[in-house]
Amino acid sequence: MNASLLNPFNITYPTAVQTSLPSQASLARWDPSGRYVAAGRNDGITLIWDLETRSSVRWLEGHVKGITNIDWSRHSRYILTSSKDWNVIIWDLTSEYDPPQRLATIRFDASVTSAWFHPKNSQIMVALLTAGDAYVVDRRKKYRGRIELLEPLEDEEESNRSAMTAVRFDPSGKHIFVGTSSGTILVFNSRTKTMVAKHRIAGSGVIKVLVFAKSGRRLVTNSSDRTLRMFVVPSYPTPTPDQPYVEYDLEPTHRFSDPINRNAWHAMSFSPDGEWLAGGAVDAATHKIYIWDISNDGQFASTLDGGREPLIHVHWHPTKPSIVSTTNQGNLLIWHCPTPERWGAFAGGFEEVDENVEYQEREDEFDIEDESEIALRKMKQEEEEVDIETGVDMAGVAKVRTNGDADVDTAWAEDEDDDDLAGWKMKLVLEDDDEM
Amino acid sequence: MDHHRDSDSSTDDDNASQTTEDDPEIPDQPLPPPPVPAPPPPQLSTSGPPRPRPRYELLHTLRGHKGPISSVKFSPDGKLLASCADETLIKIWSPATGELIRNMNGHVKGCSDVAWSPDSVYLASASDDSTVRVWEVDSGLTTKTLKGHTSYVFSVNYNSAGTQIVSGGCEGDIKIWNAARGKCIRTLNAHLDYVTAVHFNRDGTLLVSCSLDGLIRIWNTSNGQCLKTLTEGNEAICQNVQFSPNSKYILSTAHDSAIRLWDYNTSRCLKTYVGHVNKLFCIGACFSVTGGKWIVSGSEDNKVYIWDLQSREVVQTLEGHGGVVVAVTTHPQQNMIASGSIGSDLSIRIWADRAS
Repeated sequence: MNASLLNPFNITYPTAVQTSLPSQASLARWDPSGRYVAAGRNDGITLIWDLETRSSVRWLEGHVKGITNIDWSRHSRYILTSSKDWNVIIWDLTSEYDPPQRLATIRFDASVTSAWFHPKNSQIMVALLTAGDAYVVDRRKKYRGRIELLEPLEDEEESNRSAMTAVRFDPSGKHIFVGTSSGTILVFNSRTKTMVAKHRIAGSGVIKVLVFAKSGRRLVTNSSDRTLRMFVVPSYPTPTPDQPYVEYDLEPTHRFSDPINRNAWHAMSFSPDGEWLAGGAVDAATHKIYIWDISNDGQFASTLDGGREPLIHVHWHPTKPSIVSTTNQGNLLIWHCPTPERWGAFAGGFEEVDENVEYQEREDEFDIEDESEIALRKMKQEEEEVDIETGVDMAGVAKVRTNGDADVDTAWAEDEDDDDLAGWKMKLVLEDDDEM
Repeated sequence: MDHHRDSDSSTDDDNASQTTEDDPEIPDQPLPPPPVPAPPPPQLSTSGPPRPRPRYELLHTLRGHKGPISSVKFSPDGKLLASCADETLIKIWSPATGELIRNMNGHVKGCSDVAWSPDSVYLASASDDSTVRVWEVDSGLTTKTLKGHTSYVFSVNYNSAGTQIVSGGCEGDIKIWNAARGKCIRTLNAHLDYVTAVHFNRDGTLLVSCSLDGLIRIWNTSNGQCLKTLTEGNEAICQNVQFSPNSKYILSTAHDSAIRLWDYNTSRCLKTYVGHVNKLFCIGACFSVTGGKWIVSGSEDNKVYIWDLQSREVVQTLEGHGGVVVAVTTHPQQNMIASGSIGSDLSIRIWADRAS
């Protein structure tokens, strides 16, 4: 709503570190509103930072081993943390106390690599275990259960089933994308849990991370061959009994890699509009984020240098040109676009120009007008109705593409709402003063 | 500080000498205030059905303050009314019954402004003892004392999330505070004179401030950058400023007895409300959106004025106060107005419109 005032220039990716938040974290993720950052630590604690006050506001203590992934529900009320301690915990931030109440603990029989909320209902989630199997867990009364995602295989293939190594809901929530150790992407329907597509990615090796652009139109994979591949997400037909799933190779539209250093990648993240991609490089001595310009044919745009502490995770702000990156020392770096001070703003009616311009006087600029005429015109202008209550578009509501006919899947996902309503507020917990 | 303006308006003591020489409160000002451009004659629009008018009536008169009342505020849940005056006590009232519920004691000098946290649990008060206190209203105890201003604190407000408090001081600084820790996050050397009002927009990304230096400034909350300065063309000194409920516009009051609604993006004045008297005191105005859309303000002729937001005509005046009405506030849910006055009256009056 304040885009024109707050961001006068069209800056699209951050360029400098604004602040560093010491958190002992191994990963950090923005909430969908962009106000909070959740930082997962190796000791099992998750910290919530409020970026408005730059202070930690919640301390989620529940896991006994390192946090492997964090996900936020769509209005930031719930947090999902997965850990090496075999547990997944859902936290409810409406809880009045710090540490907040946990809503549920879900135990698996192996260390959990990652867990994600369904984008439309936080009572549905998918979890990936180190053993290479993935489960959809549904906490709703009507659908309660835990279902393993299985690729349909012939009996003789059963012994060399490839392990699942990455899992993600697409932004519409209709499909679950699974990357495997043999370089394939399996696509499952979230509702039926059946596989609808299988794609081989030529030459990729183990797929380590899957990331979608917010619109759901683009997918990037990080794989063991040190290349990030971007794909246009295809549309999938409704499965029929004759053809339960489609199988074809997926050709990347872009490949991103560092041809000189042959860096591998820890993490990647799209900008909110999907026009930029940030990649966090594996490097033993430096903290480097590579930025590629997707709208400009995937051209390399810039490298952000964050100093000497190597990078281990990177995540782009949901609406702004801002990034949070995590160093191996556990510090969070918040990147922003430094805006030059506009001194002209301090004087009313002044306009700053970059270079000298010859002023062109308007035809009537120094005409002496009849005062009553001015008054009359001003009065006319003031007759215009104003709207003081509504008409403000809330930023960051991106249109998410639904892949194929979504009706039945959306209805299924939105059944039994999770009470994650827009506009809830986190309760302020006053901290005790030392002097009081 | 309204009380200071009151008591000092004739005696030129050291409080008054802090202001600049063009201080509009000096009564023997040689120049008469320049004419208001285009005072819209309150004429009824000839087309369309007649607009509904408010019918506010006096509901309660609350007495108890021993100093000039500087601010009254309804809590966001509508259950309580907080008031402060040129005395150390802050009073909490029930607007429904008119009863005094609690006195909150702690400041060592008078208070100029109060602000509720969005959850109605805390109240922040700005005092002449150069501190802001945060009170837990249920217990009446101070939970935080925000120290840092070097002069009187004149205005205070919460952001909509309740995480930040902003205060404006008479040294010209605006301070943004972390509400949970009670620590100052940022100081803006905003103005050259008393900061008379400072207010967050709806999502907390912007601040608007005004000062006796005559300027209205818009600030980026997150980096403290000044984004825009608005000046009133005719040197009218702005006294109070706030964002509209949707934060698209700002409403300012000035010493040329005019209230203006601005589009701050284009720096254009969209509406001017006149008819009341405001030449000496810091008189606030506010939006009323619970029934009809009105602008409500106090006045130096001891009345409360209500204008139609769109047509700019005075639709009702509320008489009863025995002194200048400097503080007004509107109830967040009901058609209710509270007003506080200075002078010998020292009463808070609650007005309600039962008809609509």
